[in-house]
Amino acid sequence: MEYILHLFILICFYTMLSQCLNLSAGFAGLISLTHAGFYGIGAYTTAILSTYYSFSFWPSIPLAMIISGCIAFIVSLIALRTVDDYFIICTLGIQVILFSIMNNWMDLTRGPLGIPGIPSIQFLGFSVESKISFLLLSLFFVVAIWFVLRNISRSGFGKTLMAISDDEIYSQSIGKNVYLAKTVSFTLSAMLAAIPGTLYAHYISYIDPTSFTVNESIFVLSIVIIGGLGNLSGSFFASAFLVLLPEALRFVGMPDSIAANMRQIIYGFILVIVMMTGKNGVQELFEPAVKKS
Amino acid sequence: MIQLTLNIVISFSVYFLLSISFLFVYFSSKIFNIANGAIIAFGAYFYLLFIDAFCFPVLISVLLSICLSVLIGILCELLVFRQMRKRNPTLLAYLIASIGLYVVLQNTISLYFGDDIKVINTAEITVGHQIFGAYITTVQIITICVSLTFFIGVNLLLHLTATGKSIRAVSSNPELCNIYGISSNKVILIAFALGSALAAVAGILSAMDTNMTPTFGFNLLMYGIVAMIIGGVGSTRGLLAGSLLVATAQHLAAFYLDTKWMDAVTYIILILFLIWKPLGFSGKRLKKVEV
Repeated sequence: MEYILHLFILICFYTMLSQCLNLSAGFAGLISLTHAGFYGIGAYTTAILSTYYSFSFWPSIPLAMIISGCIAFIVSLIALRTVDDYFIICTLGIQVILFSIMNNWMDLTRGPLGIPGIPSIQFLGFSVESKISFLLLSLFFVVAIWFVLRNISRSGFGKTLMAISDDEIYSQSIGKNVYLAKTVSFTLSAMLAAIPGTLYAHYISYIDPTSFTVNESIFVLSIVIIGGLGNLSGSFFASAFLVLLPEALRFVGMPDSIAANMRQIIYGFILVIVMMTGKNGVQELFEPAVKKS
Repeated sequence: MIQLTLNIVISFSVYFLLSISFLFVYFSSKIFNIANGAIIAFGAYFYLLFIDAFCFPVLISVLLSICLSVLIGILCELLVFRQMRKRNPTLLAYLIASIGLYVVLQNTISLYFGDDIKVINTAEITVGHQIFGAYITTVQIITICVSLTFFIGVNLLLHLTATGKSIRAVSSNPELCNIYGISSNKVILIAFALGSALAAVAGILSAMDTNMTPTFGFNLLMYGIVAMIIGGVGSTRGLLAGSLLVATAQHLAAFYLDTKWMDAVTYIILILFLIWKPLGFSGKRLKKVEV
């Protein structure tokens, strides 16, 4: 039972992360590989604040968001000078830089040793320690982020972003500030990505840099692509599928050592197939006539 | 100091091979082929398989592993990228598909060979040759020679032979090539084969020099890509400059700061270049919107 709850909490984390990435990748067309980095910034901010300076959980969320947002703003100033392939390579480079800062800045992050002993979250006088209460807390954040993103996608700003990803030059010609809209969406998505990071740090109570590698970024990006670009509920289903996939493989009777690799092979295959057929996410593979929302 | 220079030259030769193997595909088909990283690893692991499990002689193992890597590269092109090209998708779609391919191929290696570090033992470990007080191993000398040969060979190929000319033609305008009777599909296939062969060579050499894990191809490929972007797409001389810059910066960082900052320094150079000189030393324009 505990383990099932743990899986549900993981699904919540990945849902949040992939939906945040969906804001920049799905709506604005800025496919970035930096999101594990921003996730890590959130986790490290709250870990350092709560262990060294004994901050509680709630003030460290906005702080983590602000730090992650500032870094994302600087990153977007650099990365948005490039397009397409070069943008992805640029964000990949920034991901590697963020990772090596986490891995090598011994004074601040303790490097590969990681930061242990992150306290659990205090909420209205009692501490959120059991799995079920943590699941409820993460569900609250999932709903909050989903709500925010859904409203953004339906607002004028969201429509501008979609217009940009459809035809950048045309939207510029009708007077939309393309550069500003891209910067805002990238920064916003990084700020929101810091939230699952803070939750993760308090949940696991120990963080080290290996949770925030390039592979993690690729994994989050695959969730977004498999779920469909610009499709928020798709991201949710895709993350549920990919988190539960190793369990399903174990159910079939595959040993653990193979299951981890098999999972990656399967999601790699899905990624290739989705791209080859040119459909937007797995959902459209099965219902070809679905309308793009 | 001589040792430092020598190390720079060795890394430079490896990065040059990598960037040129990547460039072949990117130049001809505009596909940002991340899957090349897995082919680098495939080359090295096939070599390990032949030399350890089957006990083939060195030369035959090298040739066989290059052939198999080329086969994998060609299969990638035939099964995935050519099918995609029929629908004329965006460049990003190719990139994401190649990331997917990379994940599949890399994990296939992990499944078969395991995730742990492997070392190729070709000969007993020796101190190496001494040149002006610096040490260099035989493998490293071979690396430098191979890289030099390929630099000359690739230049001759691109500028003198018909194949090279058609690769350049397809790179500048695939549709016009089709009209004039040069099959762009065929040329891209040749480019994939050449790129995979070079990637396998680079993989084998660097695996002999140090050691390997299933993911080591990705890091190496990224160095190659950074060198290519810095050097600018479309000229082998630019690649020389790019890989030289990357190798120098990495080894200076290792010398003055610490080896652990090597990766970060590489990407910081990339970003600085993207800010101030996005075209590289030479090469094409990047901007989508030309005003």
